This record gives sequence, C-alpha cells and structure tokens, in this order.
Amino acid sequence: MSRLEELKTRIREALPGLECVIGWQQGYDALHNTPLFMRSDADVDKLTWGVLNVHNPAVYLPTMAGKKVGVVVKGCDSRSVVELLQEKLIDRDNVVIFAAGCDGVVDLTKVKAKLAAAGVSAGNAEKVATDGKTVSVTAGGQTVAMPLAEVCADKCLRCQFPNAVLADVFVGDPAPQPTPNPTGNADLDALDAMSVDDRMAFWRYHMDRCIRCYACRNACPMCVCRDHCIAQSREPHWLSQEDSVTEKLMFQVVHAMHLAGRCTECGECQRACPMDIPVLALKKHLNRTIHDLFNYQAGVDVAAIPPLLQFKLEEDNIKERGW
Amino acid sequence: MPVLTGKELRIVGFLCNWCSYGGADTAGVGRFNQPTDLRIIRVPCSGRIDPLFIAKTLIGGADGVLVSGCHPRDCHYAEGNFYARRRLEVLKRFLPILGIDPGRFDYTWVSASEGQRWQKVVTVFTEQIHALGPAPRFDAVAPELLAKIAGAIGQGGNRVAA
Amino acid sequence: MAAKYISREKLPEWLKALAAERRVLVPVEEGGSVVFRAYDPARAPVFGSDATAPPKGAVFPASQELFSYACGKEGEDANPTLKLEAHTEATPTVVFGSKPCGARGFLIFDRVYMGKKYPDPYYIAAREATVFVTMACDRVENTCFCHWVGSGPADAAGSDLLLTPVDGGYLVEAVSDKGAPFLDSPVLADGAGKTAEAEAVKAKAREALGEAPDIADAPKALLGLFDDLEFWRDQSDKCVSCGACTYLCPTCYCFSITDEGAGLAGKRVRSWDACMHFQFTLEASGHNPRPTKAHRLKNRVGHKFSYYPTLHDGLIACCGCGRCVKSCPVSVDIREIVQNAVAKAKA
Repeated sequence: MSRLEELKTRIREALPGLECVIGWQQGYDALHNTPLFMRSDADVDKLTWGVLNVHNPAVYLPTMAGKKVGVVVKGCDSRSVVELLQEKLIDRDNVVIFAAGCDGVVDLTKVKAKLAAAGVSAGNAEKVATDGKTVSVTAGGQTVAMPLAEVCADKCLRCQFPNAVLADVFVGDPAPQPTPNPTGNADLDALDAMSVDDRMAFWRYHMDRCIRCYACRNACPMCVCRDHCIAQSREPHWLSQEDSVTEKLMFQVVHAMHLAGRCTECGECQRACPMDIPVLALKKHLNRTIHDLFNYQAGVDVAAIPPLLQFKLEEDNIKERGW
Repeated sequence: MPVLTGKELRIVGFLCNWCSYGGADTAGVGRFNQPTDLRIIRVPCSGRIDPLFIAKTLIGGADGVLVSGCHPRDCHYAEGNFYARRRLEVLKRFLPILGIDPGRFDYTWVSASEGQRWQKVVTVFTEQIHALGPAPRFDAVAPELLAKIAGAIGQGGNRVAA
Repeated sequence: MAAKYISREKLPEWLKALAAERRVLVPVEEGGSVVFRAYDPARAPVFGSDATAPPKGAVFPASQELFSYACGKEGEDANPTLKLEAHTEATPTVVFGSKPCGARGFLIFDRVYMGKKYPDPYYIAAREATVFVTMACDRVENTCFCHWVGSGPADAAGSDLLLTPVDGGYLVEAVSDKGAPFLDSPVLADGAGKTAEAEAVKAKAREALGEAPDIADAPKALLGLFDDLEFWRDQSDKCVSCGACTYLCPTCYCFSITDEGAGLAGKRVRSWDACMHFQFTLEASGHNPRPTKAHRLKNRVGHKFSYYPTLHDGLIACCGCGRCVKSCPVSVDIREIVQNAVAKAKA
C-alpha cells in the first residue's frame, strides 16, 4: 500500500471520533494544492501527499480549540504543532497527528521563475509530475523539468526534521535525513553581507509594495492573537493607517519580535505574501540569535520552556556592556 | 526656537521607577553635569519594557534609545530585569538586520544611589549617538542608494540580492 | 474613429511624451511582483502578464488624507483656533498598460462614489483626472474568468484607450471621448492595416477562455444560502481571514476612516478596509455581527455576486481578474464558491 493510501486508511479509521482532519487536496490548477478539511470518507479520497503540499495546516489548530481534530503534517509542520503544545495553545488530547516522511515541498515563486525563464507562464499550468528528484511542470503545452533541489522551499534545503517530531500515526518508511544545502540560507547570507545602510534601503525597497493585507500574520501558525492583533488596535495605537514604509516595516518588527523564541521557521509568512516580500529573513535572523544566545530551537520538545519565558541568574552568552 | 536646535539629538530613555530613575534623580540632586539630549520615560520596571517600545521609537525617528533598570538580583520585583535582559539582548542583535545601527540602542543597570554612574552612562551614550549623527530614516532613503539596491536585487523574482 | 498603430520601439517615446505632462503609471517588476509605479525610462514596463496588484490605488489610494487639522492658541487669553484644510484636487494621471479587468473595476466604484446620493469629491476628482490606456490580453491564465462576469480579454468598459498587441507593436483605439484626443499624438502611426490582426488576437484570447458556466441564478442562490452557516463553514474552512483578496481586488471599494494625529495636529485618513478582517464589522459595544470567517467570506462572495448586482442593474461586482484566487495564500477559489452555491440552490 502506498504511503498516501495508508494515510487515507488510517484517517478514515479515525474520522468518526474527530470533528475533521486537516490535510491537502489539489486546488484550482495542477500547480496549486489547497488545504482540505476532511469530514467524510469522500473528502478523504481527495487527500494528496507530495511536493505541492506547501501549506502548514497547524495554522488552523488554535482556531478549533475545544474540538477534537486531526491534522496531517510534514516534519516542519509538526514543529508548529509542538510549539503550540509547548505554549498550551492547543490541548494534546484534542489533536491527532498524522504524518509521513517528507521529501520536500516546492517554493512556487521559484517554480514560477523557472517557468518564466523557459518562456512559459505558471498561469497556464496543466500538469505537474514528480519523481522525488525532479519536478516536471507542463504549462501552455510545454513541459519544463526542474530539479527539486532548485525549486524546493529554502527550509527544505536545510531540513533537520523530514519526519514529524511528534506523531500519533506515522505511515510508511521515514524519509532519509537530507544533507544540509547552504543555499537554503542565501537570503540571510546576502543580508549579512550588506552594510547597515544598505539593509535599510533593502527593507525600504521591499516594504514599499506591502499592501498591509496581513497574510503573513494570518498564515503564521504562531500568530494566535488573530482578531486581536495590536497591528489593528486603535488603543493602544501601535500603527497608523498611513500608507508608509515605516508603518509597514514596524508591523514586520512586531511580527518578528512576537515570534522570538517561538518561530519554527515554517516560512508561511513569506509563502503567503502575495507581493513576495522576503519577510522570512527577519525571522531567520532572530532564530539564529536565539540559538546563539540560548542554544534553543522552537518546536522540538513539548516540555521545553521558550527562552524568553525563562532566565538564568548568570546568562551564559550575554556579555553586558561595561561603561 | 530652542537654542539647542540642531545641536541636540533626540535620545529617548526608558528608566525603571525604582533604581535608574532614582539614579538619574540622584545625579540631578548632586548637580552632576550631563548632556541634555535624553528625554526620560519612567516605567515601573525594566521588565515592563516591550522591545517594541524601542523598535517603534527608533523606526519613528529617534536617534538613540537608552534603557536602564535595577542591577540583576536587585530588581524591585525580584526578576523583571532578568526577563528584560534576555529581551533587550535579542532586540539589540536584531536591529542591525533591519538597517538600524546597533550603537543607537543600549541597555544597562543603574541603582538609585549611583548618581555618578548615571552621569557616566548618559555622557558616554550621548557621545556615542553624536558620533553616529542623526539617524537615517526609512522613509527618506536616498534615491541613489535605493537604485543601487533595486539593481542588485534585479528582476525575475530574486527575493534577495545574490 | 480611425485606429492608430505604435511599434514596440516607439512606445517609450510615447510614454515619455505622456509623462511630460502628467503622472504616468506603468506596470513594473519589483522583487518578483508587478506593481504600478510612475514611469521611469530606466525601468522597462512589464506588459506581458497581468500586474500582481491592480492600478486601484491610482484613483483610490490605499491611504488618503481627507483633511488635516491643527489646533492652537495664541497667548493666554486668546480663544483657541482650529485650522482645517482639505484637498480634493487630483493629479492628472495616465494608467498605462493595465489589463481590461484593472480598468473595469472602476465601473463598480463609479456607481458607489459617483452616484447622486453620496457623491464623493475625492473619488470624482481622481476618476476624472485619470485616463486608462488599457492593454487587451493576448493570452489568458488558469485564474482568469472575466467572461463569467460579462467582461472579456478585450473589454473596453472603464477604459479610455485600448491597445491590442499585434506583430511588432500595438493597435491603438480610442474607446471613450476622454481617450480620443490622445490619438492625435505624432508618435502614433496609422493603424488601418492592423485592425484585422488585432481582431484576430482578441478573438483568440476570448476563445482560450472557453465557455462560461451559467451563474445567472447566483444572486438568488447566494441570498437563499444566507442562513446556511454549514455551507459557509465548508466554503471558508481554509480561509485564513487575511486581506489579500480584498486589497488586490480591482472592485473592492470599502474603506475605513481614522484620525491620525500627534499633539494638537493631525489628519483624517481614509484607507482601504477589508471585510475579511474581524475589525471590519466590530461595533463599539464589542458585538460583532460577522464574528467568524464564515460570516465574512459569505459577505464577500454575496456582496459581489448577489447584493451589489441586485442593487445595480445586475452588474456583478467582480471583474474576473482572478487575483483573489491567484494571490490567496491558501487558494480559496471564488469561482468554486459561486458554483457551489448555484448547485446547492438547484439541488
């Protein structure tokens, strides 16, 4: 039985005791999958597993508090579930985690760029085939084959957990641990190499096209304030309604700071951005700081306390300034 | 127009009520000379300082931000400054990736009796900010610099200059 | 009026001439997205694919000052003064190279902001000062559905000039009185020989869209499902309640008004609002008539395909550009929802 068929069988078995199980199905065209809420056996038939399951279904869990739900996860998604459990934002008894080994998912922005380079529009995608190493997209009658390593999400290039860190049902063989590929950090490396002034210009350039839709926030599984975010509060008045780069960037700082020590780097903020703004680099940078200072990684241990919710009398890595 | 316009920079200080605000008061009562660039905001505890206060202040155009609380193990609320230390250190390391010079923000500990230490901290920090000059602003990036960055990013969906 | 022709090589010359007298907004690439920006000869416009964000902001800015205020007091005994300043005048603008759906969106705006009941001076000034030089589509995408809503790849409604890509350049036609004088530009050549080719391009694109499903029953169907929250829960399960669909929609015209001030001075600002956000209908009492995303998505789809057309002679408040589908982080498909509603009503 294939991994997917086994997954479907196990979900069908569990479904009667659950409100729903969240997974993925094919979306409006061959290139786009979309989250699937399985409530019946017919829904389970639609489930897919593969490189197009780009979304992190953990984002829906905090909104379903009080209901017993199932969630299908990739390794990275499972870290979000763990972090939610760490912070007691969801109840372990109310979530059933289904998982399988993950071979990586695509970054649709990279796929679109590859297609564009071949003179094909991603908007005409007809068929997507993959063998685990290559992704072949047929669009406008033309097929473009691209190595998965060149079009996968950055997080996959540095993936530490191809298999869920926590699962109730794990089907199939675990996926092999991929060798870390340094290009997965190219965005942060490039920013590191810039002068401070250039970085200011960089954010000014990118944030200018932000439309303030808050897709970055709403797609983030750790942004649990949702309808009560300070970005949209008038009292306190953190952000104005003016269409300025400072307001837009300030929100990214709000998002990043509120994720310090909590972000599992699933990359949903950047993937969700309709304007393709590289907002993930800020969180990557913050995670590196958290790792350097506190030797901590979010979402790998349900019992761990996030570093900003604890302290040491003598900090190991904080060197205070002498005056 | 105030006589110091053009000479003073805008430095904002967040001081805890119990130690550092008292320390600044001690320095004043002791008539220690201090630069006048600093505007002080008194907060109950350094643990009350949301790092976003500092980020908002800097992005909003302040030239520098100074935070001061009770010495570790000496917090009026026992542990507020321990939490603060972690948050403030994370913020300090975060600022440069945004394009804000990390020298524009510092945090330290000054007790209510340390008037002289307060004088030193304010003097050193103010000199440091004056050495950096007025802060560049996100909404006033020079067109040439912007063009340079845009050129480096290029076309075709590269998210970051390679 | 006789059609004109301009070669690709001559296009910058025309753009430069237009930009000499007014603001010219063209689609350009910025970090992988295509957005409308003031024409800069150093940046090549992108006419091939539809812009990520439509030119909505040209007439209806994301954030706009309605007026500024300043309070003051001269001396101890003087009465306080209040100064108010409002600016409704608009910058003369040409939006060059938007697709027909981008310009058509303003037809939906017009009925709201230029109606007799509540004419909006800011909108009217900007609308009248803006000329749309629209580029007909020579290819379509999976997310295009303009033919569902009475539009098409060469729809001139809402535009002033229509450009159709032909071999080597563009056929230029005036489609409004406002657009006609622009044909006098010396940069434009006679286009009589190109009209047949342009018609073929338009017909081909229209054909590529295929047959549109019958959604004539949508207004009734959606209204009939108003209280069927289970239906709306199923449709909105995956929605993350962000504003991407709304802010990128050429027809979404809702706004919020806030006072942004410091001290004794400030301004009253009108900014885009999104019905997908919880705050959109949040009342001062704390009550929210649309507390869940199911309520909110119901409103978005219902407004576009039922309530608005019912009030406005059947005009669907959607131009079928497909941005809400394409840019949605979780690929919510409004076409699917409308069809599901129609099917459910039939069943």
